[in-house]
Amino acid sequence: MSVAPEMERAVGGVIEKCARWLAYGGGIVLAGVAVMVVLSVIGRALDGVGLSPIRGDYELVQTGVALAVFAFLPWCQYNRGHVSVDILITQFPSRGQAFFGLIGDALITLAAFVIAWRIWIGFGEKFPFGSDGLRAALDMGSRPFFPETTYELAIPMWIPYGLAFLFSALFFLTALYTIWRALNWTLQGRENLV
Amino acid sequence: MTGLELAIAAFALMLVAIFFRVPIGVAMGVTGFIGTWIVLGRSNAPLSLMKSLTYETFSSYSLSIVPLFLLMGQFATKSGMSAALFKAASDWLGHRRGGVAMAAVGACAGFGAVCGSSLATASTMGQVALPEMRKRGYADSLSTGVLAAGGTLGILIPPSIILVIYAILAEQNIVKMFIAALVPGILAALGYMLTVAVYCWFKPEAGPALERVPMGARIRDLGRIWPVVVIFGLVMGGIAADWNWAQDGVQALFTPTEGAAVGAVATGIYGVFSGGLTWRGFLDSVLSAASSTAMIFFIVLGAHMFNSFLAFTQAPQDLADWISGQGFAPLLVLAIMLVTYLIFGCVMDSLSMILLTIPIFFPIVQALDWTILGYAMDQEQAAIWFGILALIVVEVGLITPPVGINLFIINSMARDIPIARTYAGVAPFVASDLLRVVLLVAFPGITLWLVGVLF
Repeated sequence: MSVAPEMERAVGGVIEKCARWLAYGGGIVLAGVAVMVVLSVIGRALDGVGLSPIRGDYELVQTGVALAVFAFLPWCQYNRGHVSVDILITQFPSRGQAFFGLIGDALITLAAFVIAWRIWIGFGEKFPFGSDGLRAALDMGSRPFFPETTYELAIPMWIPYGLAFLFSALFFLTALYTIWRALNWTLQGRENLV
Repeated sequence: MTGLELAIAAFALMLVAIFFRVPIGVAMGVTGFIGTWIVLGRSNAPLSLMKSLTYETFSSYSLSIVPLFLLMGQFATKSGMSAALFKAASDWLGHRRGGVAMAAVGACAGFGAVCGSSLATASTMGQVALPEMRKRGYADSLSTGVLAAGGTLGILIPPSIILVIYAILAEQNIVKMFIAALVPGILAALGYMLTVAVYCWFKPEAGPALERVPMGARIRDLGRIWPVVVIFGLVMGGIAADWNWAQDGVQALFTPTEGAAVGAVATGIYGVFSGGLTWRGFLDSVLSAASSTAMIFFIVLGAHMFNSFLAFTQAPQDLADWISGQGFAPLLVLAIMLVTYLIFGCVMDSLSMILLTIPIFFPIVQALDWTILGYAMDQEQAAIWFGILALIVVEVGLITPPVGINLFIINSMARDIPIARTYAGVAPFVASDLLRVVLLVAFPGITLWLVGVLF
């Protein structure tokens, strides 16, 4: 017995692709950050001969790594990568194990929802556009007088927050899908993670 | 309910949830969220904290070292360094009784110098060394045991992900932690080699000696490990060496985060030129690093939530004050803490243990006076020393049954070997770990002298 198993597999395929490509993107950003740091370090070491460190390297590391981490969350959840203690549960029949896995996935989904929702509110506090009516409808709060920016490069903070919101929304959707998957595993009586 | 009672109740509930397979990050986060709500009396407080907490945690400059080191470790696994290290080590050690097993330890230590993760070290070195040991007629228990134990060198020898997390939680200097880990890490490798020697002295048939390799070949193969030496030297030299004697203090070439980036780029470039790191391999590395990174940051986020709740209850400080007020012997308190790690380590992973316990244990460590065999430590020294001890005992958890992840990794590579034989094989190495802990407790100078010399 299971809930729409074919559709679950199809949706799972789409989610897997999205999560995988987002993780690739995050990895490329991460590698880019590493290369940028190396160039900046070389520039700083050779500032006697006319080179210089990259301006704002510190905040580029912070922003780049933060976005990469957000981009990695869906992939980790799709593969059930979050650590848990399974020792007690292995004493249970396989259906029981699957059931506790389902509870775990549901709690992750709840956490993912709170994370995405609160980042949206944080985004609203930093996003200086939109009419009052529209902002109220989208629960974005009142428009900030001074849009917050990073220190050196003055990157408006709503840009990374907006991306972080998109990625955490995908994390939430992935987690939502994993509930469905875990429910089917529980109904089928065993987990079937490839 | 007092703050302390609430904290104890929340901690107990969280442990129950964890033992019922709730992912550890979410168990800590949800407990912390609800706990903060109860302490402050309104749901708005944790909710408004969450507006910025996630982004600020993920964009923390000191934490950004973690994904960079993970990427570096993944590149290293693809670069062929493991094979070169093992070849060189077995050239030099293989003709001794148990020599190939000792070589596996040496190669693990070398690999640990470019990889901050025990799992990656165990699986990479296992793929190289396990088939070789089996081909040479080494006993199954010794082959699997030595590799599971050797894998822990990945984290005992800097760089080390767990040490980064400890340094952040305890607000210690990451560079000093890395330096302090160096001597105990080398001691660990020597201890494992000695264990192999003793093992084979009692059971000579477990580790037959090979033919002696001619000196020319030995030197040639030793030369092939240059990338490990160069990359380790670049990273550690860059973050720890003093590049400007004219000024006071250590003027390092770059920060630990920058060091991790330099290491990742250098390892990646070497991987591309050695042919091991293809585009496909790069994408695989990214996916592995992505999973570990997300897992670690998610737990750290949950731990932030939980720790800010603990701070609101003031329970850790109350507990520390109470313990120091009772006049318990510091060594007894230390022994209880270390044994707690050993017990929890049987079922829990090392990172979660550190994140769960350091906010509680660390104030206790700081509240006590540490003088051992005439060696008096100030607060910073005690913090460094305790961090290294905690690192070692949580790593023992990786090789103690029933849940020792390194044992499973090695065992999954040789499915015909029963897991019980792996358990038996690793026991002498666990004994060597425990002996080393006793040694480091008794002589804090072993851990602290190099820090004293350099800073």
